[in-house]
Amino acid sequence: MSEFASSVVKTYNETASSSLTLSDLSATTKAIVRAGQGTDAAAGLGAPFGTSRVVDGTLVVGVRPTEWVVLGPAEAVWAFTDAIDNTGHVSKIDFTHSRALFRLTGEDAPKVMEKICSIDWADAMMPDSAVVSASVAKVSCDIIRNDVDGTRSYFIMSDRSSAQYLFDAILDAGEEFKLGVTRA
Amino acid sequence: MMLVPCPNCGPRNASDLRYVGESHSRPNPNEVTPQEWRTYLYMQDNPAGLLKETWYCRSGCRQYFTALRNTSTNEFTNHPLPGNKTGAVDPSFHYVSESKSDTNDGASS
Repeated sequence: MSEFASSVVKTYNETASSSLTLSDLSATTKAIVRAGQGTDAAAGLGAPFGTSRVVDGTLVVGVRPTEWVVLGPAEAVWAFTDAIDNTGHVSKIDFTHSRALFRLTGEDAPKVMEKICSIDWADAMMPDSAVVSASVAKVSCDIIRNDVDGTRSYFIMSDRSSAQYLFDAILDAGEEFKLGVTRA
Repeated sequence: MMLVPCPNCGPRNASDLRYVGESHSRPNPNEVTPQEWRTYLYMQDNPAGLLKETWYCRSGCRQYFTALRNTSTNEFTNHPLPGNKTGAVDPSFHYVSESKSDTNDGASS
């Protein structure tokens, strides 16, 4: 059993054998793009509020009606955001260091989320690539469904200041489902 | 659990939102009397029935919106549409109270 070293939360023992896993991806590059309605940038991002899509190696997430988050490798994120049209009310900010990002993966992931968030996690309401912002264990989070090889998986993004508490809250909720911690 | 119909996020638990208060149009401070301004700031209609009120979707879309709620039953009688901001829920609805008719939207019409 190796040691799990996180960029945000404290050290945990890695439990690689679990089919339900939680990992800390907070080191992932994150850019926030705000673009007013009707701007070319808003149209070009192509992920309306509540949806996400993969573009050029990045994940473009519509987290608010006029706000997007771009996740991915640094080079891909900056290449994508640099190409966004700046005309009108458009701003791009690197907020990698202000947000924590976790990934919860496994078929029981919705059962874990049900315990700490009031959103309906059924496929009809929250299909793959859907995005929702909601309170998770009383912490405001953006949640992105991003299935891995057909297995349910959610990105959970919160303010970094709440990262440790949120990580522990998810682990606590997942204990009955044998939630394990894995290296990112 | 009370479900609040956010125009962007759909029905949400009220704990995901912040209740801002009754929705009133702000009078021009240069044209109202001190009494009218105090009334606008501090006096509430607080009816037992339909009330136009402002909500803030703090855990969801971070947008303000206006909705009509029956304060007796907590039923929302009309659902705001996306893009509608404060005061734009239902132009035909005007709650008129006897004590504060001068500060309500369109109450004098």
